[in-house]
Amino acid sequence: MSTAYQFYISSLLIYFGVDILACWGLNLQIGVAGIINFAFVLFQAAGAYTAAVLTLGPAVSPANGGFQSYIGGANLPFPLSLLAAALVGALLSLVVGVIALRRLRADYLALVMLVVSQIAVNVVQNQNNLFNGSAGLSLVPEPLTDVVHLAPLSLAYQWFYAGLTAVICLIVYFFVHQITGSPLGRALRAIRDNEQAAAACGKNVFLLRMIAFVVGGAIAAISGAMLVLFIGTWAPSAWLYPETFVLLGAVVIGGGGNNFGVMVGALLVPVAFLEAPRYLPAIPGHPELIEPLEWIITALLMLLFLWFRPEGIFPERRRRFPRSAPARDLGGPV
Amino acid sequence: MTAGPSPGAPLLRVSNLRRSYGGVHAVDGASFEVRPGTITGLIGPNGAGKSTAIGMIAGAIVPSDGIIEFAERQVTRDPAYQMARRGLTRTFQLSSEFAKLTVLENLLIGAPGQRGESLWGALLGKRYWRRQERALVEQARDLLGRFAMTEKEEEYAGNLSGGQKRLVEIMRALMARPRLLLLDEPMAGVNPTLAGRIAGYLEELRDGGLTMLMVEHELAHVDRLCNPVIVMAQGKVLAEGTMAELRARRDVVDAYLVG
Amino acid sequence: MDLFLPSLGFGLVTASIIALAAVGFTLQFGVTNIINLAYGDVMTASAMVAYICNNGAGLNIWLCLPIGAAFGALASLALNRGVFVPFIRHGASLLTIVIVTLACALIIQNLLLAIWGPNFFSYSMSSGRSVDALSMTFTVAQLAIMGISLAAMFAIHLLLTFSKLGKAMRATASNAALARSCGIRTERIIDLTWLISGALCGLSGVVLVINTTSFTAGTGAGFLLVIAAAAILGGIGRPYGAMAGALVIGISTEVSAAYINPSYKDVVAFGILVVVLLIRPQGILPGSTSEKGVTT
Repeated sequence: MSTAYQFYISSLLIYFGVDILACWGLNLQIGVAGIINFAFVLFQAAGAYTAAVLTLGPAVSPANGGFQSYIGGANLPFPLSLLAAALVGALLSLVVGVIALRRLRADYLALVMLVVSQIAVNVVQNQNNLFNGSAGLSLVPEPLTDVVHLAPLSLAYQWFYAGLTAVICLIVYFFVHQITGSPLGRALRAIRDNEQAAAACGKNVFLLRMIAFVVGGAIAAISGAMLVLFIGTWAPSAWLYPETFVLLGAVVIGGGGNNFGVMVGALLVPVAFLEAPRYLPAIPGHPELIEPLEWIITALLMLLFLWFRPEGIFPERRRRFPRSAPARDLGGPV
Repeated sequence: MTAGPSPGAPLLRVSNLRRSYGGVHAVDGASFEVRPGTITGLIGPNGAGKSTAIGMIAGAIVPSDGIIEFAERQVTRDPAYQMARRGLTRTFQLSSEFAKLTVLENLLIGAPGQRGESLWGALLGKRYWRRQERALVEQARDLLGRFAMTEKEEEYAGNLSGGQKRLVEIMRALMARPRLLLLDEPMAGVNPTLAGRIAGYLEELRDGGLTMLMVEHELAHVDRLCNPVIVMAQGKVLAEGTMAELRARRDVVDAYLVG
Repeated sequence: MDLFLPSLGFGLVTASIIALAAVGFTLQFGVTNIINLAYGDVMTASAMVAYICNNGAGLNIWLCLPIGAAFGALASLALNRGVFVPFIRHGASLLTIVIVTLACALIIQNLLLAIWGPNFFSYSMSSGRSVDALSMTFTVAQLAIMGISLAAMFAIHLLLTFSKLGKAMRATASNAALARSCGIRTERIIDLTWLISGALCGLSGVVLVINTTSFTAGTGAGFLLVIAAAAILGGIGRPYGAMAGALVIGISTEVSAAYINPSYKDVVAFGILVVVLLIRPQGILPGSTSEKGVTT
């Protein structure tokens, strides 16, 4: 395999991993709990910005070019910046959730979330000393380069980072799997299907939704952090609301409520979306047509799936409970 | 088992209950009691306020005024999920099954206080909540057997017929081992055979000691099952008694003709 | 005081435009229960149609206004009948419908991008001379905008309060099944609602561009935020609420922009929205408690 090809594959794997993380988080919120979080990218951005400003040095340091202004700048090492990002994602979800989730009906909530994410973009773009405004942050150093003794931007480092991403994916998968397969997951799905009936069955709808929202938000932040630490830059254009639509597409097309389906969706939608320009022939004379066409095709695909197969390629698994014989068959001693 | 209310005391007492929407008084000072061990009927013409009253008792609607006491404890503003945990469950007028969950899962949802429902419990995994889950599955299968729906266990609730969905809702409400079961038109739109079966189940439940408050339009069912019966009209309680007594009362007959 | 009155003037103009748009938006939700996220993009498309008539065919922009409105009406009707209603009949959930409207929004916006490119387009028009009124300065165009908005609001008021159609719309909005059982042909009412709200949508799109003089493919979508905020503020589904919300948002954002950094206009809208959601999620107008936008 040529070096250039290896670079390509390894970065593709990293993007795929980051997208899977995001999709699992979004799936928890939308697929399992039925919360239409159109502001999802906002939480990814929160994680990305947190990881970025904590990993970078102080703003005035000449090491990062001296042209960016932002808050923070603590030169934090890797696992800490990631944890901080997750924490920020969780806290932001807590705040937004308490305001919006408590009293708003599902589709009304969707609208409000859209509004919230647009406004956040606005604030960041205009308040230049927060996160360097529209220009965004750059020159974020890649993590753990001195620990593993690999030069940043080298092929070996990329494979290392892909491995790192895979590890993070496994950890997040554990959380997501435990939740969806438990009575908590079942309660969330019930709330999704009929909120009033779930409350009449003793479920504290607000609290349970907040759990899904906060965990999903933390995962979103982790995804954003992993992405920014790899590509080294992050600007408002990366998190406009249509980006949520791409992730939404992955969840819907792959299979809402199904963690495996969502993984496939992440491969089909965001990754295909990203790579399509590379493979599609340039329309003669109109290279700028590719992007709008991509969006139109993605949106049409969404509509088609929502019509013909709303449960996605891999629908939510039907839960079966084994017939009880002696206590052992559900695994392990009583 | 927790101590029940003192003998002779009503299980549910509603005093001067009121609910207004703008200028409209859906419930306008209604007072009544439900005594333990009865199937108490709640009847009245359209717009009498029956469903609103049920909604307030169940905690789904906040009363504008008045007091609700359940097992001698004030629960007026308690939200629905708390009422369920206190032992008051309900069924809904319109089918309220969890469509994308299986029938068995629908029943499992009915049980409050599950260990695996907290974030911590979920993360600790199967070993933490498995035993309780198994017990609940047995309880659910037992109910499915009693209501003759065992073979539908793995069916998605959304794919059931209307009558089957009703049964699922009743079973689900029973999973919490409630002290009071609110039934909002349980037989509406159900074919007569199935309605008869449901009526039979309700009688069995009553004989087993369950108290029920039932809103119903079909007076034939009310005749068979309910004693006493409360009549509501225009947001207030008009009369109370057995069906025979009520039929003899002029004002009750008039309310039905007018409403 | 120096800054206040002129900014109040701006505020009134902005409020007029927002009101036109917000009433249409909220009518769609109120009567048909659909939050139409494609609303802003239909506005842009209507503005584009007016642009074609104006720049291409050389018509005076004010003559292009009704053409834009008509386009908005037809496009909105087509959207509902062609996309939303089939999905609803197909059994789609609320969540699905919202995603459907968002998909349509993206398709419309990107079609505009694909056909006309990412450029800015300007109407050939003059704003007219400046007029002083009550120490505020307006251009003739701005006065016309306010006049059109007032006329439209008044017409909507007459429609909803006195006409048979209006009453049918209100009945369908509050309980469609009940309305149908009373003999109201809800399908026709819904069609008419989309035509009327679509006309408002198209009208507001053209008017928006008349005020700002230029637009691009994403202009309408960007404006959706403010429209939504006004509608939510007034209690979504309530036309008079949308008018009140438009007034509050329009005036407060412009007045505050005069005193603090003007690029924060939208943030002011956000702050108001958050405060209202915290205190009174059903909107600032009195009267509604058991609400469509609020969980029971």
